Amino acid sequence: MKEGSLGRRHEVRQLFSRVASTREAIVFGIAIGLFVLFNVTSGGKFASSEVINIMAISSSELGIVVLGVALLMIGGEFDLSVGSVSAVGALIVAKLYQLGLNPFLAAAIAVGGGIGTGAVNGLVTVKFGIPSFIVTLGALMVWRGFVTLVTGGLTLIFRVGEAHPAFYSVLQGNVGRVSVPLIWVVVTAVILGLLLHFHRFGNHVFATGGNKEAARAMGINTDKTKLICFMIVGGLAAFCGILQSTRARGFHAAQGTGMELIAIAAAVVGGTSLFGGVGSIVGAVLGILIVIFLQFGLIMARVPGFWYNLILGITIIAVVIANKFLGQRRRVA
Amino acid sequence: MKEPPPALAEMRNIHKWYGRVHAVDGASLAINSGEIVGLLGDNGAGKTTLIKVLSGYHRPDAGEIFIEGEKVRINSPSEAQALGIETVYQEQALVDSMSVARNFCMGREPVKWAGFLDRQKMNECMIPLRALGLSIKSPDLPVSSLSGGEKQGATIARAMHFKAKLVILDEPTRALAVKEVGRILDFVKGLKEANIAVIFITHTLHHVYSVADRFAIMNKGKIVKDIKREEASLEELTEVLME
Repeated sequence: MKEGSLGRRHEVRQLFSRVASTREAIVFGIAIGLFVLFNVTSGGKFASSEVINIMAISSSELGIVVLGVALLMIGGEFDLSVGSVSAVGALIVAKLYQLGLNPFLAAAIAVGGGIGTGAVNGLVTVKFGIPSFIVTLGALMVWRGFVTLVTGGLTLIFRVGEAHPAFYSVLQGNVGRVSVPLIWVVVTAVILGLLLHFHRFGNHVFATGGNKEAARAMGINTDKTKLICFMIVGGLAAFCGILQSTRARGFHAAQGTGMELIAIAAAVVGGTSLFGGVGSIVGAVLGILIVIFLQFGLIMARVPGFWYNLILGITIIAVVIANKFLGQRRRVA
Repeated sequence: MKEPPPALAEMRNIHKWYGRVHAVDGASLAINSGEIVGLLGDNGAGKTTLIKVLSGYHRPDAGEIFIEGEKVRINSPSEAQALGIETVYQEQALVDSMSVARNFCMGREPVKWAGFLDRQKMNECMIPLRALGLSIKSPDLPVSSLSGGEKQGATIARAMHFKAKLVILDEPTRALAVKEVGRILDFVKGLKEANIAVIFITHTLHHVYSVADRFAIMNKGKIVKDIKREEASLEELTEVLME
């Protein structure tokens, strides 16, 4: 009897440790702390349903990219081109729609284009052995240059809602009181979470990012693993661009600028290691929440906007120091 | 006259260049089932390179490999594993940030459907670990929490679990405390008892002297001595090594 209950408790703890670790518990604590703090400084407005709804929409669009970026970082690589690729995705869907294509088909082609850019990033990185930091920095400039060239810097109109209400509701509508982008990010998180933590592929990602040589020696195709991660990120970035353009009803050449750094910041705040091999989907979700809480909390506390970058910067560095300290302590234990 | 059975694994006249460096210069080495061969030589003698050819990590520039008498080409570590050759590399056999169970099945994960991990099967890694006398508390512990000897033990248990015929140990006793070296040697004897052949690479002769059946000494990319234990004295081997 006692044996059984002990076994059950071990199982529960195992299940918990699979989904979240000490690291995530701390990040969760920080997120809750920020929420409470900003609710006090805003006089209770932070927890109102309007504010939560706006935060949900912005965090969803960013979050879809962060999840992919975190997956890739766990696999040991970076993607600095996500902002530009999101613009490429948005440009493709808006342009093809203008040319008379069905928007669903146009969106599928745009996501395919994003996957393609990811494949190029991945192939160049693994085949030429160049750091992905450099490869995707190049891609950031190339794709931003491309969209500026094609649009001539002008805004494209993408008023898809009137002619195709179904397309708009699938991407930016509401289900009851829940905005659809939130459903998209939750679905993405669940799928990537299952892949990363419960699937063979995830084991290959952790091994590739944690110790590439060991992974290779045990027969894992580390190049293929990285390539797939790059393609997932590219597809998600393009999808994010489509969501943004659908909501904004247009596309402009600067759309998504700066997204790459915020995405990496959110992933790192959520416990993803910059050196690969460490991180989780739960952590990435919490990282997104912290970044969004900071953004909106500071606005609502009427702190001038330029404080946001400064405080986000300090938070990132503090979290990385805390993680390093935590990692060392765990190794001693 | 009856022909002797072919060797479990045989490398014939292997060459490997790194740019202009002739790392392995026509080395030949054979090993029989259940035999422990100590591969000795100074740092840079070409031991690890020769062995990486057998384990599929490097392609030889020239030379042939035979497994149980049959000529094979080993193009990748997974092809070597499929032939029953498991390699335990120095310092790079495990991923520190991953759990024991995840490390154990790395690259050969047991799955239920559509590639989803079979946790129960993964946790069976505790059986060979216990059989080897390792008291690791939980399969969910991160490998970074294990001692150097426990890590080596875990990689050896992994090789046993996946039914290796030949286990290659690359400097398994390097950077280990004296007590842990004794444990590794016990693991090696355990492999022999299970009729698994072992190539034990080291540059410390006295670590391998008590367990090996045969010694192969490498120098400048060549096997300069291949001698049975009963024909070799510690003094003689030391002398060849010092040359």
